[in-house]
Parts: sequence; structure tokens; C-alpha cells
Amino acid sequence: MAKRSIFLYLAIAVAIVWSIFPIYWFCRMAFLTPNEIRLFPQPFVPHVFELGTLYNIFGYDYEYAAGFVSGASGQSNQIIRGVFNGLFMSGIVTVITLFIVVPLAYVFARMEFRHKEKLLFAVLLAVALPPVSTLIPFYSMYVQLGLNGTRFGLIVVTLTITVPFVAWMLIGYFRNLPPIERLARIDGYSRTSCLLTLILPLAKSGIAVAAVIAFLFSWNEYTYALVLVNGTSANTLPTAISGFLGQYPEPGNLAASVIVTIIPPALFAYFLQRHVTEMSLVDPVR
Amino acid sequence: MAKIDLVKLRKTFGAYVAVEGLDLKINDGEFLIMLGPSGCGKTTTLNMIAGLESATAGDILFDNVNVTDVPPHERNVAMVFQSSLLYPHISVRRNIETSLRHTTISDAERKRRIAEAAKMLEIEPFMDKLPGQLSGGQRQRVATAKAIVREPSVFLLDEPLSALDAALRLSLRSELVNLQKRLGTTTVFVTHDQVEAMTMGDRIAVMNSGRLEQIGTPDEIYNSPSTVFVAGFLGSPPMNLLEGDLAGGFFRRGGLAVPVQGPGGKVTLGVRPQDVVVTEATAPGALPVTVYAVEHLGRESVLIADDEHGSKVRALVAPGWHARVGEKLGIVPDPARCLLFDTNGARIYETVARAA
Repeated sequence: MAKRSIFLYLAIAVAIVWSIFPIYWFCRMAFLTPNEIRLFPQPFVPHVFELGTLYNIFGYDYEYAAGFVSGASGQSNQIIRGVFNGLFMSGIVTVITLFIVVPLAYVFARMEFRHKEKLLFAVLLAVALPPVSTLIPFYSMYVQLGLNGTRFGLIVVTLTITVPFVAWMLIGYFRNLPPIERLARIDGYSRTSCLLTLILPLAKSGIAVAAVIAFLFSWNEYTYALVLVNGTSANTLPTAISGFLGQYPEPGNLAASVIVTIIPPALFAYFLQRHVTEMSLVDPVR
Repeated sequence: MAKIDLVKLRKTFGAYVAVEGLDLKINDGEFLIMLGPSGCGKTTTLNMIAGLESATAGDILFDNVNVTDVPPHERNVAMVFQSSLLYPHISVRRNIETSLRHTTISDAERKRRIAEAAKMLEIEPFMDKLPGQLSGGQRQRVATAKAIVREPSVFLLDEPLSALDAALRLSLRSELVNLQKRLGTTTVFVTHDQVEAMTMGDRIAVMNSGRLEQIGTPDEIYNSPSTVFVAGFLGSPPMNLLEGDLAGGFFRRGGLAVPVQGPGGKVTLGVRPQDVVVTEATAPGALPVTVYAVEHLGRESVLIADDEHGSKVRALVAPGWHARVGEKLGIVPDPARCLLFDTNGARIYETVARAA
């Protein structure tokens, strides 16, 4: 037993380092002053904790305590727009995804109908399709329709990723719910009222997790955004961040932007951890 | 209260026939058990009575009113599902209340019924808990309370005790029978457990492969099975079923000769383990067997032996009885207690024991 627990703790330690180390790395970079960042080797821990880079990426100059001033980043317009566009579009994508996927997943998971297997296969095939494979067709179609560089266009494309993926996840979840429909029919619930008043409250953990996943997919989406909206008024945060890697790299500002990027997922993870563990670790039954 | 008539009921799922030509009359106030192995169509039949499955053909009548196309909640039935299914996310009280959604009774009456059911089933202490916080037995009681508050004309129970441990099952068995007798509600109870069937039912309907094999009181089913399937399905240890030939007033199988009369030809002889005598291997007319195992059950012991054709034969012996594995013995059935079945599995009733 002791032997097993040593390996268990070792595995946990590796997993923690694996996930924490990158966060440490860019947090450190965000807090290093422009001078320190040019040093070699760089300090392991920043000496001063000043939020200069965070000011810079949102378009403000910042005067460090040491006396020098770091100027506002030229990318700040893109970053600010990226945050608002990202929140707005991810919110809309999440809502639309849930409206489509919850009924769809319920029907696939709990009812029998003709050609179900084939249709299910079609849904799942979309999950397996790499975004790159549809990128060029979407781009040429969007140019002709005038949808490139628009929020609407990016929302539609993002839905083609979130809908099949979240459906695939929720179908499995709905399948594992107890068969209360039979009970509901004896009690005189219609199919619709059974879904709305019994299944939805019962499945709220799964639906909450589905919402988070849809939001994060949309928030993190890079491939389509890079091609369809980068550099326009509809740009998102990931594409804006990639701008820091251009001709004049600004590693400090890049790291600060990454911190901004992980705030929404971190908040979700914190507030929904109960649902997430409930969904993945235990059977939702009873 | 209602009597139920099933008339030529048939249910198919695609090419698979689940229930075929089922005619069944369930009397008012009766506790009827539907017994059979899994896949025999008993649960499908129950679902059709409830209205959860539509019948492919045939009619279902409650008190001579055809309800074949009536939706479940308008049939005034209550159902307890396998492993006592409840809504897991709402409290016990609200679970019970949902049973009364479609009734037009007053609030006071509603409260009275719920309180009464809670008292009857002793679930008052956990009315505000979630089903997940209850034990299996408590959940079973809640499911029963949910069923009785509706004051239904028919109770339908689908293996409600199958997920419980043996001791609990024993006590809930008598509890359910007692409740049913007090309420006098027509009850259909589906099970694959023959002990439940024998102990609980007024009558037992034995089903096999979608067909009704036999319906009768537990005594009739046990002592006078009408088919070889019923004979083999009920009884523990099971009845010995020996294939052989009937000719010249004897049933013969190898060395075994039993003096019984009936139409000649190939038949199956059925005899319960308590109706055979264990003798010397050389006894005339005895079935020569080789001891395979002896099971001691305390009050009695069961000898399990192989006959010459390799079939297992069981005999009830006295508790202290011993035999070596591999020992040669003889088994002599009591001709008066033997049943004969033809090659289709149907009972040959004109069997008479002959004085040897």
C-alpha cells in the first residue's frame, strides 16, 4: 500500500508541475520589468510586483517605482476589442449552443427513431473533422457573402465546432440519467413538460459543464479567428495576443494578455467545480 | 378496484415477438404474479397494462371498458418500477405529491392522503430528504407510498424487490402482501423469483417466450404443472425431468423402469426430489447414478448425482445422510408422484400409477 501511495503522490506531483509551471512562467514574465526581461539569465522571481504590463496592454503608460516609464502598447486597441468581442461572442455562442444541443442530445440519448444511428454518426463525424479542413471553404464562402471580419460570421463558424462537440458530451450524460420518463408518464407529464420540469433540473450539472465547454471553445478559438477576423474590428483575444509575436516582440505584454485570457476559465473552474466533479466522477443516478 | 381482461394481446418490436396471443383474466382485488425468465414478455405485458407500451394487437379491458388506447395517467394505475425508481432531484414529499397532479381533489384531501400513506409505510421521518439519502428499503417504501396515494384501481409492480438484499426482501414481501390485502386493490406483480411468486401471489401466471404457460394458484402451479417448462421452473431444488420411452406399462430409461400408464412413445418423466428414494445401485428398476455432490441445507440434504446419460438427478435425503463422491447408487421414483409430458412439453393427464 505504501508503495502504491508513493507512486500516486509522484504522479500527482508531476501533474501539478505540468499544469502549474507554464502559469508560473508567464506570470513571472508579466511582472518582470522591461529591463529585467532583457537579462540573461532572467531572475526566477520578479523583484517588484508592479502591474505595468497590465496598464500597457490596455493602452496606459505606466511609471515604475524605479522612475522609468513604460509606454502603452500599440496592440492595446486590439486587446481591448478582443476582450469585449470575446466575451460577447462566447456568450452568444454558449446560449445558442445550449438551445440547439440540449434538445438534440436529449432526443438522441433517450428516444428511438428511424436512422438514429446514421444521424448520430453524422453528429460525431463533425467532432472528428479538424477545423483546418473546413477553413479554406469557409473563407472563400465568407468572402463572397461579405461575412469575413464580422462577429456574426465568426459566431456561425464557432457554432460548427461547439454544437457537435457539446452534443457528443451531453448525449453520454443524458443516457446515464435514471429512466424517470416512465414514471413521469404514469404521473401524467407530457414529453415536453417532462423534459422542462424534470429532466432539465436533474441534468443541471451536465448542462452547466456543457455551457462552460462551449464558452471556452469559443473563447479560445484561434484557427478560424486568425483567418476570418484577425486585424478587423471583430478580432478576438487569441489573435490579438499573437500580434505581440510580430516585428517588435513585447514578451511582458504578451504574458500580461495571457493572464487576462485565463481569467474567465479560472472563474468558471472555481464556481463550477462542484458540478464538474459531480459530472465526471460519479454516476448522476440517484 | 378493477378487474382486468387481456384479450389476444400481442406485442412485437420489429421482427421480435415479445408477447404472443395473451389471454388473461385478472380478478378484482386479486394479487396476481407474473413469473418467468428474463425476456419472457412479463414486463412488456405489465407496461401494456400500464399504457407505457402500445399493444400491437389485442385489447386491454378494465372493468369491461376498453382502455387499449387510453394514456397511462388516465387509466388510474399506479406503478412501482424496478429498483424503486423515484425522481432523484426532488424530496420524498414532492415525489409523492407528483402522483396527485392529475387528480381534482382538494388541498386538504391531498394532505390527508399523503400523511396517511406516509404513516402507513412509516416514512414520516424522511419526507423532506432526497431519494439518494435513503436506503434501498426506504426508497422501496417511498415508491409504494407514491403508488397508494393515488388510490388507484390497479397496482403494477415491476420487480420492486430485485435490487434489495435477501433479509430486506423477506420483510418487504410480507409487508407488501399485507398492504395489498388491507387495501384490496387489484395488483399485478412481475418477478423472476419463484419464492416471491409462491409466497405472495393469489395466483401465478407463468410466462415463457411471450406466451402464457399456465395460470393458477401457487398450489396448482407447483403440484400440477401443465407444461414441462412450468414443472422445471418452479421448485428448489428443481424437479427431475428424465426423457425416456413409455411402453408396456413402464417408463424406461436405461435401467430405470417406472410402472406408469399412458400413451406409448417418447415422453418426459418429471418427479420432484422429495418423491424419490435412494437405494442400492443393484435394486431392480432403479435409475443407476453416480454421486456428484451432497448439499447440506440443515433441515434436509440434497443428493446430486449423474445418471448413465450424464443428466443431473436430484434427490432429497435425510440431514445426516452421507455418500462418497463417485459412489454408485440407485434412485427409485414414487410412481404415484410422477408426471408425464409429451415431446411438445405438454402434460399427459391420463397418467395413472400402476400397482407394480
